[in-house]
Amino acid sequence: MNRVLSFFGAPVVLFARTVRAGAREGVSWRECAVQLHELGGRSVWLVVSGMAFFGAVLVTIANSQARRFVGNVAVLGPAYFELLIRELGPVVSALLTASRAGAGHAAELSTMSVNEQVEALEMSAGDPYADLVAPRMVAGLLGVPLLSTLGTVAATLSAALVASLVFGVDGRAFMDPRYVDGWDLLAAGMKAVACGLYIPLAAAVAGLRARGGAEAVGQATTEGVVAASLGCLLIDFGVSLAFQLLRL
Amino acid sequence: MSPPPRVASLGLKTVRGAGSLGLEAVRGTGALALVAARTVLGLPRLERRELVRALVQFGYDSLPLALATAALAGVIVVLQSGLYIQRFGARAFLGWAAGYGVLWEFGPLLLGLIMSARIGARNAAELATMQVGGQIEGLRGIGLDPFAILVAPRVVAMELSMLAMSTFTFLVAILFESVAALFTLGLPLRIFFGTFAQMLSPLDILGGVVKTGAFGLAISLVSTSVGLSARGGAQAVGRAAASAVVQGCAAIFVIDFLLTLALAGWMA
Repeated sequence: MNRVLSFFGAPVVLFARTVRAGAREGVSWRECAVQLHELGGRSVWLVVSGMAFFGAVLVTIANSQARRFVGNVAVLGPAYFELLIRELGPVVSALLTASRAGAGHAAELSTMSVNEQVEALEMSAGDPYADLVAPRMVAGLLGVPLLSTLGTVAATLSAALVASLVFGVDGRAFMDPRYVDGWDLLAAGMKAVACGLYIPLAAAVAGLRARGGAEAVGQATTEGVVAASLGCLLIDFGVSLAFQLLRL
Repeated sequence: MSPPPRVASLGLKTVRGAGSLGLEAVRGTGALALVAARTVLGLPRLERRELVRALVQFGYDSLPLALATAALAGVIVVLQSGLYIQRFGARAFLGWAAGYGVLWEFGPLLLGLIMSARIGARNAAELATMQVGGQIEGLRGIGLDPFAILVAPRVVAMELSMLAMSTFTFLVAILFESVAALFTLGLPLRIFFGTFAQMLSPLDILGGVVKTGAFGLAISLVSTSVGLSARGGAQAVGRAAASAVVQGCAAIFVIDFLLTLALAGWMA
């Protein structure tokens, strides 16, 4: 019970503190840009290549499902495309980002805490929340939606390519936006933004809590990645459930 | 080494970048192959107590996380496939479609990603801590093989735990799917499991188990080789843990693609 409470509560408390500290102290835009490069620019290859492989897998599965069900992947294509836009694009991209950025942030922040650099920052009248956490949060908020857009595009292109080259189906059938409407895009955007906010928070919670030596750094990194990945799945579940209940 | 020239043309930079990328790839592959080979060689002298400890840590202690992931995956698959199942007017086929999705793709993939985060990062961090602290040199110094004591038990335990957990998590995911289908789509359990049993064969379960096993092997090999090659202080430990997760995820996606193509081609 205690662990469940702290799993949900700690990010909320950290978020509130960071927003307050950021409003009071101001957030350095230069640092935000650096963090955006760290989180976004350096994850691009992982997300794009991972999602390209994922798109190929998706169209293979759609093909073997379609063969038993309706005979042709072109019939299932538009439905799978909606699924990709609304669900798999944002979530799998966010999971990949969580593993890259969540681990990176947690490792960095926990190294700073075990070397007492965070205390040193406080001593020199800096605020760790405004100086360390806020820029990472801004970077996540901007970076994860951009990364999931890129990832969705990569998955779509590779799926279309595999469909036309391997299965001999017109690849454009897979990119048919017949079923995609504004609500799908809204759901995808909400998932990406929420994950983008949560990943740096989860990593920062684990990282700033670390005390000890090299061992604590490893443990904090593990905790940060696991919390970030599980949180992304939970966010996905919550948003999907809300949209399902509202029948959108 | 002489300092690089300050003014480098674009072509030179590209060649240098490609060269260092290639070297990095070769080094990574070599380290992976070395770890794999020495693990196989270390198998007969495997440390039993370490194996038991790793089995408890990787398998039993991961169960809550794995089951939570499985439950979430099951509900998410139903929430999503419910959308287009209703659109095609094929509600009765949900059991088959959702079961197929979990067994072939989402069960193994999500379990692999979560385990890569949990076990991969921890493995790399533990081994990197030992490497940084000189403990691995110490083991060699007193005539013990670190691969037989540290690496082989982890690889074997990871493989066994992933194989054992795969069927169990699939079961939980499918149970949650059926309950979610009952509540969100009003699909009776009998119909869900009817199409599930009729249209899926044991081979489909085997596909998921094979995928999960391959992911487990990849995670353990990648994370131990990354951990063993760490050099530096506390910073190196963090860096090793982070890059173990990233490389584990990348390996999972590539293996997923290759296995899906191979298994789909073989079963067709």
